[in-house]
Amino acid sequence: MNDLLGIMLVTLIIWAGLFAYVYRVDRKVRRLEMEDL
Amino acid sequence: MGTVLRWVLFVWMAVIIWAAFYYAPAASGFQGQSSRIVFFHVPTAWVATLAFLVSCIASIRYLRSRDPKEDIRASVAGALGLTFAILATVTGSIFARIMWGSYWNWDPRETSITFLLLIYAAYFALRAAIADPERRATMSAVYAILAFVTVPFLVFVVPRIYWSLHPDTIINTQGRIKMDSRMFQVLMGSLVGFTGVFSWLYSLECRVEGIRRRRQHEVL
Repeated sequence: MNDLLGIMLVTLIIWAGLFAYVYRVDRKVRRLEMEDL
Repeated sequence: MGTVLRWVLFVWMAVIIWAAFYYAPAASGFQGQSSRIVFFHVPTAWVATLAFLVSCIASIRYLRSRDPKEDIRASVAGALGLTFAILATVTGSIFARIMWGSYWNWDPRETSITFLLLIYAAYFALRAAIADPERRATMSAVYAILAFVTVPFLVFVVPRIYWSLHPDTIINTQGRIKMDSRMFQVLMGSLVGFTGVFSWLYSLECRVEGIRRRRQHEVL
């Protein structure tokens, strides 16, 4: 595996992790907003 | 942001990441593959500037309407602006290490971003120092407007009038775009993607802060 592929995979993993985290927070916030209604 | 749009953003950014490494060529005149950092460095700097602008607009609107929602918008945009400015500094520093052998050179770009980071860090110090919510909102709105006045100078003017190690900006001093077409496509795609990420984080943070304040108000 060359360096470029390695850096690309790490960047993709960071993006996927960030997306999953924000997505989860978004769902939780939606639930809290429903509770507040 | 709707569910479909969120997944579109996920795929879009994944494609941009692939394109940044495999579709766009490495620019000539740069050490190895170091030029590829432009696809992440420029969008983070762009989002930081956009966020500071949003913070300034929300602050003006707060002073006119005294609506607490505008204060939330201003502080959230300021926090995101500061975060993205730090990311732009880190990516720029990595590039500096590869190209010039040192993470920090006190280049005009690096000096101006340091000032910008300090100015916006002071915004949050100010917010933390005032207990009364209304007074805090008013004082920080005035500060955010004054802080934004420095942004065009520190981001666009200062780095262009002094000699700098920094590569030519995308639109150079002659007002022309000097970049390979495939690199330009990826950069534009990345700018769109990062703007999407910012708008998602911004709306989410505003909602979180709204819930927090509502609940705090109920407790009091």
